[in-house]
Amino acid sequence: MRTVAQRDGGRRRVLLSTVSSDAHTWNLVFLRMLLEEMGHEVVGLGPCVPDRLLLDTVRRTRPDLLVISTVNGHGRLDGARVIRALRADPVVRDVPAVIGGKLGVDGDEGAAAARALVDAGFDAVFTDTADTALIGRILGALPQRAPEGRTV
Amino acid sequence: MTGQSPPGPRPARPDAVRRPAPADLGEAVARAAREGLLVVQPRMGMAAPEAMAAGLRAVCSLPHPTVGTLTLDSYTRVGDHGLARAALAAGEPLNGFPLVAHGPHTTARVAAAAGERPVQVRHGSALPRDIFRTMVAAGLSASEGGPVSYCLPYGRTPLAESVANWRAATAEFAGLSAERGLRAHLETFGGCLLGQLCPPSLLVAVSLLEALFFAQQGVTSVSLSYAQQTDARQDVEALAALRMLADEWLPPGVDRHLVLYTYMGVFPGSPRGAQLLMDRSAELAVRGGAQRLIVKTPVEAVRLPTVEENVAALRSAARAARRRTRGDGPVPYVSEVDPGEVLAEARALVEATMELHADVGAALTRAFAAGLLDVPFCLHEDNRGLTQAAVDGEGRLRWTRTGRLPLPRRTVPRPAPVTAARLLQMLRYTADRHDLLALEAADDPDWAGLSGSGPAARPPGAGRQEPYRIAVVGTGPRGLSVLERLAARLAERSAPRPVEVYAIDAHEVGPGRVWRTGQPRWSMMNTVCGEVTIYSGPPDGGPARAGAGPSLYEWWRDTDPEAAAPDVCAPRAVYGQYLAHALDRIERTVPDEVLRLHRLRRTVRTLAREDGHYVLALDDGRRLCADRVVLTTGHPLPRLTRDQQELASFAEQRPRLTYVRGDSAIDMPLDGIAPDSVVGVIGLGLSFYDVVAALTTGRGGRFVPAAGGALRYEASGREPLLVAGARSGVPLRARGRNQKGPQHVYRPRLFTRERVRALRRRGPLDFRADVLPWLLAEVELVRCATALQRAYGPDIAERFRHEAEEAVREGAAGAGPWEEGRGPQETVFGAAVRCGLRGHGPVDLRRWAWPFGDRVFSGPEAYQEELAALLRRDVELAAEGNAEGPVKACLDTIRDVRGVLRAAVDFSGLAPRSHREDFLGDFVPMVSRLTTGPPLVRLRQLLALLDCGLLRVQGPDARFAADPVSGRFQVHSPRVAGSRTELDVLVDARIPDPDLRRADGDLAARLRDEGLLTAYVNRGPDGSEFATGGVAVTGSPFHPVRADGRPEKGVYVLGIPSEFTRWFTQVGSGRPGVWGEFAADADAIAEDALHGAHEGTPATPLPGVLLGPRWHATLSAPDKERDH
Repeated sequence: MRTVAQRDGGRRRVLLSTVSSDAHTWNLVFLRMLLEEMGHEVVGLGPCVPDRLLLDTVRRTRPDLLVISTVNGHGRLDGARVIRALRADPVVRDVPAVIGGKLGVDGDEGAAAARALVDAGFDAVFTDTADTALIGRILGALPQRAPEGRTV
Repeated sequence: MTGQSPPGPRPARPDAVRRPAPADLGEAVARAAREGLLVVQPRMGMAAPEAMAAGLRAVCSLPHPTVGTLTLDSYTRVGDHGLARAALAAGEPLNGFPLVAHGPHTTARVAAAAGERPVQVRHGSALPRDIFRTMVAAGLSASEGGPVSYCLPYGRTPLAESVANWRAATAEFAGLSAERGLRAHLETFGGCLLGQLCPPSLLVAVSLLEALFFAQQGVTSVSLSYAQQTDARQDVEALAALRMLADEWLPPGVDRHLVLYTYMGVFPGSPRGAQLLMDRSAELAVRGGAQRLIVKTPVEAVRLPTVEENVAALRSAARAARRRTRGDGPVPYVSEVDPGEVLAEARALVEATMELHADVGAALTRAFAAGLLDVPFCLHEDNRGLTQAAVDGEGRLRWTRTGRLPLPRRTVPRPAPVTAARLLQMLRYTADRHDLLALEAADDPDWAGLSGSGPAARPPGAGRQEPYRIAVVGTGPRGLSVLERLAARLAERSAPRPVEVYAIDAHEVGPGRVWRTGQPRWSMMNTVCGEVTIYSGPPDGGPARAGAGPSLYEWWRDTDPEAAAPDVCAPRAVYGQYLAHALDRIERTVPDEVLRLHRLRRTVRTLAREDGHYVLALDDGRRLCADRVVLTTGHPLPRLTRDQQELASFAEQRPRLTYVRGDSAIDMPLDGIAPDSVVGVIGLGLSFYDVVAALTTGRGGRFVPAAGGALRYEASGREPLLVAGARSGVPLRARGRNQKGPQHVYRPRLFTRERVRALRRRGPLDFRADVLPWLLAEVELVRCATALQRAYGPDIAERFRHEAEEAVREGAAGAGPWEEGRGPQETVFGAAVRCGLRGHGPVDLRRWAWPFGDRVFSGPEAYQEELAALLRRDVELAAEGNAEGPVKACLDTIRDVRGVLRAAVDFSGLAPRSHREDFLGDFVPMVSRLTTGPPLVRLRQLLALLDCGLLRVQGPDARFAADPVSGRFQVHSPRVAGSRTELDVLVDARIPDPDLRRADGDLAARLRDEGLLTAYVNRGPDGSEFATGGVAVTGSPFHPVRADGRPEKGVYVLGIPSEFTRWFTQVGSGRPGVWGEFAADADAIAEDALHGAHEGTPATPLPGVLLGPRWHATLSAPDKERDH
């Protein structure tokens, strides 16, 4: 158990995760650094995150944004499955969520995979060609939430 | 994966498979090592038995020692043998050999294809029991892995569980193997861990600890792995440390060898870069003392390699290994390195771990829990994550944070902590470095540059988007400087759209007109080559590229070591070749998808704005569409002035006469001048020296050494007689011999930017009253300090500088203006006298510039004699040097503070009258003759020409005229009796000032007529005006000011056409190692020009991001920042 600091101004809490089948971590290491450098609080879940653990952590930490990064090519399937589960959860169904990385096995599949993932419930999909730093713009555009402090 | 491995099938009894077992791996490696051969091995795994057997056969029939590999699939790795069987049954592809699913019989049949060679099973499993059982049943006893290395980098299995799995499985593996009469062999994976960015000491420690773990479970043959990292020397140190620690810690009866993995991180994208990295790894294995090498194929990052690709990699590794057994190379031998740092750290880590528990597995678990072992960038829950590492300035991997690691105390400073951007760079460090190194090595002109493949190098969406186009019109040094910064910026941060740059020059793309490579060798530069560079940064050990490249000297030294020396002036053609080479390097700096360069040897006729773009019409009728246009058109050729036109017309009417207009000497029609003619040369500046060279050495004459360091001219007989003259009567004085290093930066003490900025805040300046006194004080300071240092040594000179500064500060603090005769220069001089200066008066630039004052001379001979004496004295002063000789040192200061002068003068800093009269009318001509001169050898040549009579210099106030009576040109000096001389040819050796008002028939003229370019007018607040012919530009990034008074924001004007708006724009190079105005101006344009490429397209403000319905309205509005 640890205390989560008060949220102030533009500082957001981001839950950073990957999908259940993906063991890659450099993408996660990079994103954590990038988000922290932008001034945000990051809760990280490491590699190969089971769907259940991801949903439980969303319930527990109530992030301003869920960021899923995956590069093993299974993002289209694993990501769609987990976002449907999230959108079906009565408590945390409204949590904003984005996914990005190498989402399909075949390079040409980028656009189709992105469309499928938006349809499944993601608020934004970062394709292979997107500049990762744009995540900052999205965080900046999120509506403010009331400050809160609590123990998780 | 959590939980114990499911109970697998009991291994088939050893006698179930009767085929002969493959050779013992440890023994085979030892045998090869005795013969001095490196064993090479692929990572290879196919699902189908026949394919796998064929692969093994191909590997094991190679003539050099190899080990066959069975690499397993992902399902088998995680223990899902049922899924593996299902995939086999359904004919679905698997990414390796499903060993357990195939079972021992099939596996043995496949392994038999290896013949006499050993076969190793590679799997990556945290649950290896089933694999071990099946392989032993198949007669295979060599595998790899480790309780730490196959747990922490992958998945979520707790470390304690992995240790328990491995402990049981390894002990069983050793026992089962022994039962079958086989010797179990295990290779650690601890020398790799995450593959990248782990300091070698931790890799060495974990590799060793895993080997100790294996030995403790009864394995008697081990190999210790180490993966190639970023620095060859550090890697050799690590291999040496690993060898020493293995000998110290492993029980004597345990067979051991070192195995190297070719680099495991992001691989170079270019075939040559990949090959280079692979060759380096083979060399590293040989020289670092590894006995076995696991090779990599360049395609592995993208797909599974074919058998042929694997075999090719093995052949090339064996070849590289043989080549590198002896001789030179970039990798040091193990005997040449001191493993001190790596060894001490690794030893401390191993000792601290082994103190925790007698059982190695328990010790490992506790060490990670306590943070005594802690892998940087590893996200596993059982890794503390308190450490961090970085690639340091020399390419070595070093700790930036050590957390609780028990490392020995150290004194070397750590690199800065890693940022996200730096992390991306470091992950690509080895890939990019080898891509670039390969470029340097490649001389294949078809080589298209890097095919970068990481997030930093690839332009998102390249190829699918409309490119962003920048046209650079005129590509001499200024145009090239902008190209260099464009490439350097794009190499650092690619744009979301591909950028296309059109380099356009009518003469030669790269060198341009003035520096074209085909010009004659007599055409020489006036700056020594050690002070010239086109690159914005010095070389950094990597290949020459935008941002880091050689100076002219460094490049020349490599291409012509006989001729090159840092203190000589190169022929202009050589600088042209250097510029052409630099353009090639710049082109290759960034991948084609990021920046594509098009060279157009064309003239631009017109430039028009259409639909938010610029359309350039070329002289071949093509139209080019560009988003931005950089005008770096260099020396213009304006229409002749009325006086000049009269002289030209005079010659046109008389076939015997020739008039040659002012231009650069290589473009003057001088060949037709007859040897017996008398040639008048107007002007005694740099162009005069060029014209003299063209008509002397350019006609076959040569200078030979004479007594006392002087030169003598040996004529060819084809020289005309030269009669030169100018208002001063004295040729440009020589620059002091260069004594300042390439990185020399002069920091002014009195004439400072701060002072100038403060002065400018008051409004337009009066040059003579506000600026000149401070410049003269600075010049005086250098002159006196140099003289005092010569006389009394550096401490007296330093005391003087302090005293002078102090006295000036006191004087400036007093109320009111400086007293007459007690200004800053006089104050400095007074301090020098107090410090012991004798025998000098104050610096008098005016007297130095016009040494003959109002004197009159009795005849041409008398004048020539005095002039020769003056020039000889100047040669002496120049020989004293520009740092040690008081006169040339203080004159060189004026060059050094040009930037401060610009800060005072540029963009209407001076009141119009003062700009016209004090600065351009008086000061600039005065200091030009003293400070912008040629190297001293040119004066020696001049003296030789005066001596032999081929050159005569008219006295002061020389006047050239057309004489209708004689029908010839003539020249005379009113101050030299009997100096009138008749001339057949008149050469105007003055480079014309740029004058937009007189531009005629060229692009500048059309842009002026269309109102896109205007001539600069300095307007004072009092309504006074000084109209010039320079192109009016804004401050940085130098947009032209249109006729409506507004800047044209997609266009830039840099260099000579913008003279008068700015001062001293005719600079044709940067200074090595110094980020000066030359680079800064180019960079400001590059930055601004690339803004547009970095902007999103209006339709997708978040390029590459697809938005869902909730955010579509809020986030897809066009970006406000785009508007400018």
